Amino acid sequence: MVSQLLDRFTFFERIIHWIVGITFVLLLLTGLAFSHPSLFWLTTLLGGGPSARVLHPWIGAVFSIGMCFMILIWVRDMFLDEGDRRWLGAVRHYAMRETDKVPPAGKYNAGQKMFFWFQAIFAIAHLASGVPLWFPAGFDAAVLQWMRVVHYVVTLGGGALLVVHVYLGTVAYPGTARAMIDGTVTDRWARHHHPRWHEEQTRS
Amino acid sequence: MTDTLTVRRVSATPDAFIPMEALRSDGPTYSKLVDISKCIGCKGCEVACKEWNDLGVEPTVNFGSIQSHQDLSPKTWLLMRFNEVEIDGNLNWLIKKDACLHCEEPGCLYACPAPGAIVQYTNGIVDFNQEHCIGCQYCVTGCPFDIPRFDADTRKVSKCNMCIDRVESGLEPACVKTCPTNAISWGSKEDMLALADQKVETLQSRGYGNAAVYNPAGVGGTHMMYVVPHGDRLDDYNLPSDPTASPAPMTALGFLKRIGAYLLSFSVIGALVHFLAYGPERLEEE
Repeated sequence: MVSQLLDRFTFFERIIHWIVGITFVLLLLTGLAFSHPSLFWLTTLLGGGPSARVLHPWIGAVFSIGMCFMILIWVRDMFLDEGDRRWLGAVRHYAMRETDKVPPAGKYNAGQKMFFWFQAIFAIAHLASGVPLWFPAGFDAAVLQWMRVVHYVVTLGGGALLVVHVYLGTVAYPGTARAMIDGTVTDRWARHHHPRWHEEQTRS
Repeated sequence: MTDTLTVRRVSATPDAFIPMEALRSDGPTYSKLVDISKCIGCKGCEVACKEWNDLGVEPTVNFGSIQSHQDLSPKTWLLMRFNEVEIDGNLNWLIKKDACLHCEEPGCLYACPAPGAIVQYTNGIVDFNQEHCIGCQYCVTGCPFDIPRFDADTRKVSKCNMCIDRVESGLEPACVKTCPTNAISWGSKEDMLALADQKVETLQSRGYGNAAVYNPAGVGGTHMMYVVPHGDRLDDYNLPSDPTASPAPMTALGFLKRIGAYLLSFSVIGALVHFLAYGPERLEEE
């Protein structure tokens, strides 16, 4: 039996997601190259040290614009409610595949919402600390040094979350990634992962 | 006598923080000693620097000072700053030879992320290797003396290299060579320290009770030292009273980087372990 497909993400949402996603990976790789000498070879991916250094902030600008759109289109759905708090309390069961012990999620579960908020905050911190590092003239040396610390810390946070995000969205939960490719998910997937959303979508 | 250049530290390598043991050279560690009390303000050193290093002319304007230019630039590695200060009702020029001090613990080198872009030699010279510079300007941030200058056209940073090509041929730097009053001395660090003490003693006996040597400990000492007649007025000379090569944020950053790579690896390892424990989720069709 072929399962019915539900529309999950619009074309625009997918474009924005991949602009942010691809620029994030490029930024992470070049950023790690600049922060760890043993990873400096990663700059060759963007044509060597000098060109990687030129491109990194421009890619950051594209990333920041993408994040602005992402925040604008998704923020409405991302506020946590009482159900999300209960979902977070049961997150252990979600990870251990004991789905019957997890409160039903809406379009986004609490984990996805938290991911959104953390990445939004990290992106703002990246931008705020990155602009002075891009145009250091006129800034105090001590300010720039602290900006380097901030930039690095949020990179660690964002990078670790990215790993979790990619893992959960691909190999851990097959059937998830297609939501960001052709924009659809199967009826079975939706009922299992986002029961409340599934109900809304299929009610009419 | 010529000296072999032997590398001591290289930016963005383990040798940046743990200096290499000298393998070949046990030659002298050099230092300039700038006796400000002997400077007559002729700026011959500025010209010699421009000439030897082929830095070219930079037009300037009259901004109400005898000083030649307002600031260092990628093409002006040495600037005599004529700080005008009133002491006991008299105008004094508290001249500062503004150029790289060649710190023993170079903040620029510590801050540099590009392997090999900044090199410190056992003779004390800290040199920028523009071939490896990526133009990030972190060295500017790391320098406690505000010396390196970024060239927006070449996207490289440069500064005084202590005429390294002269030094390795056994010659003194161009500014030393040209100084008509021998206000700039050149020799081994020990000799220059001894000479500095002598000069300070002379100045003190002549009424400059606060005369002092400027060889700040926060950067491990420098390879351009000053004898300042008014040692109580470092601010007026534009000399930071307590420069450091390892300010708090850079120390914090160094610590974070030690654990940062592990934190990122743990997220990958965590995902792998989870996958091995639970595998891909299988949704059976009903």
